[in-house]
Amino acid sequence: MDKTDTEQKVIQFIASKVENVDVSQITTASQFGELGLDSMDTVQLLFDAEEEFGVSFDGDEVKNFRSVGDIVNHIDNHPPSVSA
Amino acid sequence: MRIVVTGMGVVSPIGMGVDHFWKAAIKGMSGIRRIQSFDASRQRSQIAGEVIGFDPTSFLSAKQVEQTDRFTQLALLAASLALEDAGHLDGYAPERRAVSLGSGMGGFATFESSAARKLQNKSIPPFTVPRIMANSAAAWIAARYGLKGVNLTSSTACSSGGNAIGMGLDLLRTGKADAVIAGGAEACVLPLTMSGFEALFALSTHYNNDPEQASRPFAKDRDGFVIGEGAGILILEKEEEAVKRGAKIYAYLAGYGCTCDAMHIVAPEVEGQVSAMKAAIRDAGIPLERVDYINAHATSTPLGDIVETKAIKELFGERAQEIAISATKSLIGHTIGASAAIGSIATVMTLYTGTIHPTINLAEVDPECDLRYTPNQAIQQRVQTGMCNAFGFGGNNVSIIFTTV
Repeated sequence: MDKTDTEQKVIQFIASKVENVDVSQITTASQFGELGLDSMDTVQLLFDAEEEFGVSFDGDEVKNFRSVGDIVNHIDNHPPSVSA
Repeated sequence: MRIVVTGMGVVSPIGMGVDHFWKAAIKGMSGIRRIQSFDASRQRSQIAGEVIGFDPTSFLSAKQVEQTDRFTQLALLAASLALEDAGHLDGYAPERRAVSLGSGMGGFATFESSAARKLQNKSIPPFTVPRIMANSAAAWIAARYGLKGVNLTSSTACSSGGNAIGMGLDLLRTGKADAVIAGGAEACVLPLTMSGFEALFALSTHYNNDPEQASRPFAKDRDGFVIGEGAGILILEKEEEAVKRGAKIYAYLAGYGCTCDAMHIVAPEVEGQVSAMKAAIRDAGIPLERVDYINAHATSTPLGDIVETKAIKELFGERAQEIAISATKSLIGHTIGASAAIGSIATVMTLYTGTIHPTINLAEVDPECDLRYTPNQAIQQRVQTGMCNAFGFGGNNVSIIFTTV
């Protein structure tokens, strides 16, 4: 199945942020731990993703984020607000 | 037991690395420019000693850059230069290698940027706290070089680096460490920090269009200090061990004195400064007459330079006129928690090279400042005992004595 626009953007973004990981190694199923990120790295990545995609991850919700797909789903379900 | 300096690293507005720094210092070059790192047009003081061309990505990964404040990055570069200069310290057990660092403000660039985001209801970068904390630089140096012994940070405003070096001496003398990475780092050329100093009328504001002239300790027309940034690191070891491993020895770190005025939170006081200098000389076990060079605290504030001059005269009496003095802050501005570390490196280089760097911008001396300040031109003079002074807000007074080998 072709990647959606959001998937492609998120994967590109993660590849640009995470050391020693190539776009081809990342899928929506990729868990943050599998990409070599520890918990602080993950928090930093999610913070950077908020900035990049103009979204805001809720504190409780973000605790359950495990994979690239969780970021993609959140962005698709919460289009950036115009005022942001 | 004698303690020696075996390596030095400096990152300053007039050069990175001791060689560049010292060449510029003895030429009397100024590192003060109009502020480049942010739009300072709304500051009353629009000039600073910034480390232009400092690129943390040249020695840190993108992830490390993201997790560190600028003061830590400056400290990491100075530490790597110092360790390279000292040669390997691998002969010491990791638990016997200590870090003693000073910083007045800690990660204040991070504090200011995160506070601005918070006030706009934006989310806060997750490394905000570990970047701000004052011991961040010491912790990063330890992690980078496997230094598993004592890890301390002194935050005593403008004397922080001096306390850190003094603590390094104490750690070695008391047997709590075999090698100490000691010094200071500061990166607070920042709008809020500067506005805070401006509100105290502490910063120079009359030389915004003539930055190189602005930092003028002891000069008649000085009008406040110029903020600076940088880092200075010294490698300290016991003489016996340093000789055994064939290390280059720059100087002895011979004495440390530290006192508090216990008077005013920002105004300096003669008595406290005298007692710190006296304590350092006593600690070094040398007679007063031996001191032949002073790297003065000399920030270029109207009051501070007079008080320090009075303190030196009170302690040394008539012989004060014979002591060569210079003000490193005339070249680089006031690097706050790094200033005593950079001043200590200048003191050690004075002993090591027999050249005293000038106090620049000293065409017309304040009549109340009547000592030998080495105006405008370096002088060749063999110096055997040098004292570095650092006096900080809080009434903290530190003096450190270095002697030739």
